[in-house]
Amino acid sequence: MSLVEFRKVTKTFDTVVVLKEVDLAIDAGEVVVLIGPSGSGKSTLLRCINALEQINGGDLVVDGISVKAGSSKIRLIRQEAGMVFQQFNLFPQMTALENVAFGPRRVRGASRREATEQAEALLAKVGLADRGHHYPAELSGGQQQRVAIARALAVKPKLMLFDEPTSALDPELRHEVLRVMQALAEEGMTMIVVTHEMAFARKVGTRLIFMEDGKIAVDGEPADLLAKAENPRLREFLQHVN
Amino acid sequence: MEFDWSVVVDATPALLGGARLTILITLAGLVGGLAVGFIAGLMRAYGNALLNAVAFTYVELVRGTPIVVQVMFIYFALPVLADIRVNPMTAAITAIIVNAGAYIAEIVRGSFLSVHKGLREAGLALGLPTWKVLFYIVGPVAFRRMIPPLGNQFIVSLKDTSLFIVIGVGELTRQGQEIMAANFRAVEIWSAVAILYLIMTGTLTLILRATEKRMRML
Ligand SMILES: Nc1ncnc2c1ncn2[C@@H]1O[C@H](COP(=O)(O)OP(=O)(O)O)[C@@H](O)[C@H]1O
Ligand SMILES: [Mg+2]
Repeated sequence: MSLVEFRKVTKTFDTVVVLKEVDLAIDAGEVVVLIGPSGSGKSTLLRCINALEQINGGDLVVDGISVKAGSSKIRLIRQEAGMVFQQFNLFPQMTALENVAFGPRRVRGASRREATEQAEALLAKVGLADRGHHYPAELSGGQQQRVAIARALAVKPKLMLFDEPTSALDPELRHEVLRVMQALAEEGMTMIVVTHEMAFARKVGTRLIFMEDGKIAVDGEPADLLAKAENPRLREFLQHVN
Repeated sequence: MEFDWSVVVDATPALLGGARLTILITLAGLVGGLAVGFIAGLMRAYGNALLNAVAFTYVELVRGTPIVVQVMFIYFALPVLADIRVNPMTAAITAIIVNAGAYIAEIVRGSFLSVHKGLREAGLALGLPTWKVLFYIVGPVAFRRMIPPLGNQFIVSLKDTSLFIVIGVGELTRQGQEIMAANFRAVEIWSAVAILYLIMTGTLTLILRATEKRMRML
């Protein structure tokens, strides 16, 4: 069975239909890059997976658990699906190390020592071993986003969701975040990434999905699609982002 | 007229006794008011429609009536309505709890809601239940933002205790009034009373300043 399975998922905000009977299956190990015009429903699709948004129709099953199964099951889904936000959303009252140790400690119930050790290892992995005692406000955007990735990984998820992780960063800080994401993909992490970084899609992605108006318009191999897109609107879109 | 220091010296023990009661009422009232205010404020911010309506009604009832009327109601009307005896001290403390609680509820609600919703989402996305997100993540950020308005409310409540003169609690203002009625030395007595209030509010201000400094605002 797929790790993430959308079955005719519909999502509405008031009267606006944002996802229209979306069918989508994602298997373990895939690195799915999600692109599409602003407002096409990329963030909403991602946020339905970890139930930050509630679906209105159809069903959505993550690692065998339906997002409609109630709040304690939803918490299990969220522990399996880590999320990285465009605005980092680090906890400002905690140091980088405390941010990363927070999940193991408060979600997984690890001891303080265990949690700190895990957090130190993860900070080292994202290249921030020497920044553990800094508060988020004392870090650059790129460093904050790497801490945010480490914080999500600390809960030991099977799947990582990235919502435009580099969009809030200055161009020269983007590559340090993308490098961490690439390393993660090379370790075999299942990832769904909303991004306009086409070089990342080509190099790291195993699958490219183009969303348009609440639907999946194109779904295929990144290399193929980027070389010759059949869909005229995807072609136009690619011209604008490149 | 000449300022007669001996009047102040003679009045000091009684005035200090009054100040002691003022502090007692304020402290007990604010401890209770904080508890009530946190509960009502969180009900307003995160409760379902019913809890929200209950808290809203409470806040509006208190904000819409003067504190003198509230303490009169507790002291004179409640015994008639509910057949419970209330002594003046209990009525005074209860009045501060009820009154400060409503204003603190608004402070709590506002500061929790002022915290960027991305923090709440980041906490939920880790797989925490909502109450833990509020307790460990949103609460500590909100708490720092509450300190200045809470400090303001503490000072207002301290001064409000002077209104309990109407139910005969022997707090500072009442003590001043009684001494003045006996010796007619208005200037000396009300100067001394004012200075004692200033010392109490000034101490509160200093404590709050120090607390604000120690906590990094976020
Ligand atoms: N919380 C919300 N309330 C109302 N409408 C929303 C909300 N979130 C998103 N939308 C609407 O849903 C549509 C899709 O939004 P989104 O998923 O954020 O698109 P994208 O991430 O592709 O830019 C947009 O029209 C947006 O205005
Ligand atoms: Mg978006």
